[in-house]
Amino acid sequence: MIAPASTAHASGHELEQSKFWIFVQLAMLLAVITGLELVTVYLPFMKWILVAALVILSTVKFMFVIFYFMHLRWDKAFCTILFFIGLVLAGGTMWALLKLFSVADSKPLTLDAPAAIVRTVA
Amino acid sequence: MSSTAAAGAIDHHHDSTTVTGIPNKKLLMWAFLASDCMFFGCLISTHLIYRLHPPPGTPNARDVFSIELTSFSTFILLMSSLMMALAVNSIQKGNLKSLRWSLLTTIFFGLIFLGCQVYEFRNFVFEKHLTITNSILGTTFFTLTGTHGLHVLIGVIWLTAMLIYSFTGRLTEKDAIDVESMGLYWHFVDIVWIVIFTAVYLLEYL
Repeated sequence: MIAPASTAHASGHELEQSKFWIFVQLAMLLAVITGLELVTVYLPFMKWILVAALVILSTVKFMFVIFYFMHLRWDKAFCTILFFIGLVLAGGTMWALLKLFSVADSKPLTLDAPAAIVRTVA
Repeated sequence: MSSTAAAGAIDHHHDSTTVTGIPNKKLLMWAFLASDCMFFGCLISTHLIYRLHPPPGTPNARDVFSIELTSFSTFILLMSSLMMALAVNSIQKGNLKSLRWSLLTTIFFGLIFLGCQVYEFRNFVFEKHLTITNSILGTTFFTLTGTHGLHVLIGVIWLTAMLIYSFTGRLTEKDAIDVESMGLYWHFVDIVWIVIFTAVYLLEYL
């Protein structure tokens, strides 16, 4: 059933109006989360908890921006899929590089490294 | 009532004339941003690798960074994203006056961010003696944040061009997709900074 033009126009107008307040409230929320991130680094907890908290907070900010400010919530799913392909590839590359360079042989040489190499060869 | 009348209002998110139903300019921008994710992903991971395994003589990043200045820059960039979203909302409603004010504020915030970055770089080089060539920290830090700053500069130039076009009549409600594509680019610059702020700055304070 097709909605009357006036109804469709009115609902569209309401959506645009509500978007304005969504954006303003979201910006305030993002500012609060940034404040929370700042406080987090000074909390006396174990390092892994703080790192996890920071990762979660920045991921929440990231998702809010892409789904609301970048309109992915209202766009066709193909835009989300396209962007997430790049995001997953980038995340995978980062993970692979960090794992690869955490292997002992990949660590940068230290000042006493030449002596260690000589010992190994001898 | 016929659907013709309802179709009188412009649907800014979908385009029935393309196979995907998405305007080509928007699709191009999303594809570009997806590729830019990989570009920044490599730069961020390079920085993190050398921070996790710092070579001898690497300065302590905590002594160099200023968390207050960076937090202020982050807040400014978030607010610029809000103004950009409002600019897109304005052009979709055909409100050119609101669009101009939103674009002008976004440009202003973008320039403040760039000013903070120039101040930070000057401070690092001349006060903290951290340059792009004298340590790995300097190399990865300046390359990463400098590339991001270059993206912001391109965004500011693009915004300024759009603002000028809005006065000359080259930008009307029918061109909302151009402003929306520019908005996507600007928000992307913001989300990259969200990651940099955590990965490069905040993690140093743990």
